Amino acid sequence: MFALIRWTFWITVWVLIAAFFHYTLPQTDIVRVTDTYESRENPTNYTLFWAAADVDAAGNELPRDVFFIQTRRAQGDVMVYRNEDTGWGWPPYFKFDTSNLQAEASDLRSSAAEPRFVAIRHYGWRNEFMSIFPNAVSVWRVDGPDAPKGIPWLNIIVLTLFAALIYGIWVRWRRFRMARIDPTMEAIEDDLADATGAVTGWFGSWRKKS
Amino acid sequence: MAGLARLMVVGFIVLTVIYVCLSLYSRAVRKEKLREEWYEGAQEQPLEAFVEEGLVEYDKSLRRKLILSVYVIPVILVSVIVYLTNFA
Repeated sequence: MFALIRWTFWITVWVLIAAFFHYTLPQTDIVRVTDTYESRENPTNYTLFWAAADVDAAGNELPRDVFFIQTRRAQGDVMVYRNEDTGWGWPPYFKFDTSNLQAEASDLRSSAAEPRFVAIRHYGWRNEFMSIFPNAVSVWRVDGPDAPKGIPWLNIIVLTLFAALIYGIWVRWRRFRMARIDPTMEAIEDDLADATGAVTGWFGSWRKKS
Repeated sequence: MAGLARLMVVGFIVLTVIYVCLSLYSRAVRKEKLREEWYEGAQEQPLEAFVEEGLVEYDKSLRRKLILSVYVIPVILVSVIVYLTNFA
């Protein structure tokens, strides 16, 4: 029972961590930009997956215009990216060039008959039910649908540092547990065993009498 | 620019906590090393005076000033990311 709870807890924690990194770290898609548009958005339900909106004096989020980039990916499916500043907030892309990026994306539009493929770096998720879109960070021209995406150095560095951090914490915790907690628990168990033995012994003697 | 102000305030608080912890830790490590040195050395001075002298020297050392890079590195990192994201 305890093992089940422990496994559930740790699987949940690791799934959340994996989801966090999958959302936050950049990924690159090879796409063909079909169109770009601008739409008035006032996301109220899943604001976590949008850039922070301006608020009015009462603290209500104001509707705002958001840029979008419509694409067809090299694999064949479609993908719509939003194009928003992250500003000085989270995630720390420090993106301020949204309008420039939109201009570049518009410039790279192409038709299915005369495709021009571009790489689009983005973070985030597309989810139709929640109406959330990955945020495009940069676009650049590539040779074709099979163009290399480059080695994801940033992801490698971040994940390695994170693994090192977790390993460091884990080693220290294990050492602490072996030095302090395990002996104490054993002492408690021994005491408990002694006490139980004494009590049953006493009960035993009491029973034998009658 | 409210975002920048918030980032700077929060960043300054977090980095100050790290800076203080690291300074105390580094000083304690140095103290322990000086004690060991005294025990293994000729012991011409009393232990306290020896350690005190060593710590005064440490306060002037480059190693201690290097801990200030706790503030410097994130600023450089943010500047590099801003450049790469927007201008590269």
